[in-house]
Amino acid sequence: MIQDLLLNFKLAYKNIISAGLRTWLTITTLAFAFLLILFFNSLYTGWEYQGVKDQIDWEFADGQIIYKEFDKNDPFTIESGHHQMIKNENIAPVLIRQGNLYPQGRMLPIAIKGIPANQSIVKLPTHLFHESKEEFPVIIGEAMATNNHLKKGDKILLRWKDKNGTFDAKQITIVGIFHTNVPTIDMGQIWMDIDLLWKMTGLEKEASYHIVKGNYNHELKSQWRFESQQDLLKDFISMVEMKKGSSAFLYIILMFIALIAIFDSQVFSVFKRQKEIGTYIALGFTKKRVTLLLTIEGAMYAILATIIGSLISIPLISWLGVEGVTLSSKEQSQQMGITIGEKLYPMLTSKLLFSSIFWIILLSTIVSYLPVRKIAKMNTVDALKGKK
Amino acid sequence: MSTNNLIELHQVTKRFPVGDGEFTALSDINLSFSKGEFAGLIGPSGSGKTTLLNLIGALDDSTEGEIKINGKNIANNSDEASALLRNEHIGFIFQSYNLLPVYTIYENVEFPLILQKIPKEDRKIMVLQALEWVGLKDIANKKPSQISGGQAQRVAIARSIVKKPEIILADEPTANLDSENAYKIMDILKNLNEELGITFLFSSHDSKVIKYLKRVISLEDGKIINDEVK
Repeated sequence: MIQDLLLNFKLAYKNIISAGLRTWLTITTLAFAFLLILFFNSLYTGWEYQGVKDQIDWEFADGQIIYKEFDKNDPFTIESGHHQMIKNENIAPVLIRQGNLYPQGRMLPIAIKGIPANQSIVKLPTHLFHESKEEFPVIIGEAMATNNHLKKGDKILLRWKDKNGTFDAKQITIVGIFHTNVPTIDMGQIWMDIDLLWKMTGLEKEASYHIVKGNYNHELKSQWRFESQQDLLKDFISMVEMKKGSSAFLYIILMFIALIAIFDSQVFSVFKRQKEIGTYIALGFTKKRVTLLLTIEGAMYAILATIIGSLISIPLISWLGVEGVTLSSKEQSQQMGITIGEKLYPMLTSKLLFSSIFWIILLSTIVSYLPVRKIAKMNTVDALKGKK
Repeated sequence: MSTNNLIELHQVTKRFPVGDGEFTALSDINLSFSKGEFAGLIGPSGSGKTTLLNLIGALDDSTEGEIKINGKNIANNSDEASALLRNEHIGFIFQSYNLLPVYTIYENVEFPLILQKIPKEDRKIMVLQALEWVGLKDIANKKPSQISGGQAQRVAIARSIVKKPEIILADEPTANLDSENAYKIMDILKNLNEELGITFLFSSHDSKVIKYLKRVISLEDGKIINDEVK
C-alpha cells in the first residue's frame, strides 16, 4: 500500500516535471501566494508579539486594578474616577488628572499622570523624578515631544485643578523623554511623581488605577475591578486579527489564480491525456489508482510550491525578522493610537508555516480531485484510443 | 470446451448502447485458445475483432457469456482483479503504440515490472533482456518522441513481453508501420512465440500479419464465420 503510494508520488512528480513551462507557471504562482501568506502573517504575528510585549512592559504589566467609575476610554470619568489607593508592594498606583500645558504660548489639553518614582513594574523611566533637582520634574514620550516641539530641559507652564476645583499653575520641567511604541502612555500626556501630583491636587493617596506585578491576589473591595493582562490586551489582539483578515484579500486572489491553474491543468489532463490514462489501466492500474495518480499530480504542484516557497520565505522572513521592515506611516499609527514600532519584525512560527502548508496542499488536492473524478466513469477502450 | 485451454469464451455477447437502441458488436461467441497459440482475429472494420480482444484483455465487460482465463471466469471481476490480471498475465500491443510520453524507453519497458514490485536489480536485467529481444538496447535512454514508429512498436513489444505474460493481445500492431517494419515486428513476435511459448492473439486485416498466423479466425458482423488452423 505504502509502496504503491510512493510509486504514485514518483510517477506524479515525473509527470508534472515533464510538463515543462505549464508546471512551472503554476508552481511559481502558488509559491508566490505561499510567500505572501507567510510574509504578511508573520509580519502581523511579529507586530502582535512586539505590541503585546511593549504594552506589557510599558503599560499593563500583569494586569490593572481600576477604579470602577474610571473608564480609560471616557475622559469625562477622569474628574471623579479615583479612590483611595490599595497599599501593596507589588502594585503601583496611577492617578490621572486633566490639565493644560502652554508651550510657546499655545494651549495644549493633556492628561497628567502620577506614578511612584520608585516603581519598577513598568519601563517608564520614573527614576528621573528623583534624580532631577527641578521642583516639578516631568517625563514625556517621544511622540508627545515631537508633535508639540518639546525637548528635554524645556520649562512649560502647567495649569490644573485641585480637588476643590480651584485652578493652579506652575512651571514644570521636562527631565526626560522616553521612547516607546505604546502611544497610550505617550500622546497627550505627561508623567510625574505621584507624591507631587497628590500634593498639587490635594488628592492624597488617591489613584485612578493600579498597575499589578506578578500574581496579585486580587480580593478587592467593590470599588475596584481587576483586569488581567489578557483582558487589557484583548482589543489590541482583536485589532491585529482584524488587520490580518483584511490583508488576506491579496493572497486569497493569488491562491485563487493558482488553484484555477491547477484545476485547468487537471481538466487538461483528463481530456488530453486519455490515451495515457488508458495505457496506465492496460498496464495494470485500476481507475481508482489513476484518479489517485492524477490527484497527486495536482497536489504535487502545491507540494513543490510550498518547498520552493519555504526555501525562499524561511531565510527571507528570518532575515527580515532581524533587520525589521520599516514602516512609513509611524506618525499616522501613533495618532490613531496603535501600538506599532518604527520597524516591524516578522515572526515566522512553525505553527504558521505548517498550517499554511497544510491548507495550500489540502485546497490544491481538493481542486485537483474534482476534475479527475471523471476517470472513474471513463471507458477504458475509448481512453486507449484517445477518444474525446 | 477443454479445461486445459488458456482462454475460453462461452456464448459471449457484447452490445453497445447507440442512441435509444443497442448495437450488437459480438454475438454468441464460443472460442478457446491453448497455450502457445499464434492466432489472429480477422475481418472488416466493425466486425468485432477489437471488441473481442478488449473483452479477453479485461479492458471491457461482456454483456452476456463467460470468459475464462486459466479456467477463471473474468466476467464479473472487480476493477482490482481485472487490473491484476492485466498486469500479471496479459501484455498489450496497440496500433498506436501507447507509450507513456514522459518516460524513457527503458522506463516504459520497466513500468509493468514496477507495478509487480520486482526489485530494481532484477528489473534491470529483465528490461535489458526485453530490449535486446527487440533490438533496442542502444536507445534505452531516449524518449518516445525521439524514435520512429517502427522503433516505438518494438518498445511496446518489449513492454508487453518484459513481464513474460501468458497472453499477448496485439490490436492491429502493424497498421501504422511500413512493410519493412511490419515484417520486422511480425518476425520478432513469431520468435517470441516460439522461444517463450507466449500465446499471441492478434486482431488485424493486414495480409502481412495474416501470413504469419497459425490460426485464423474470421469475424463478420460480430459472429465467427470461419476458424482455420494452418
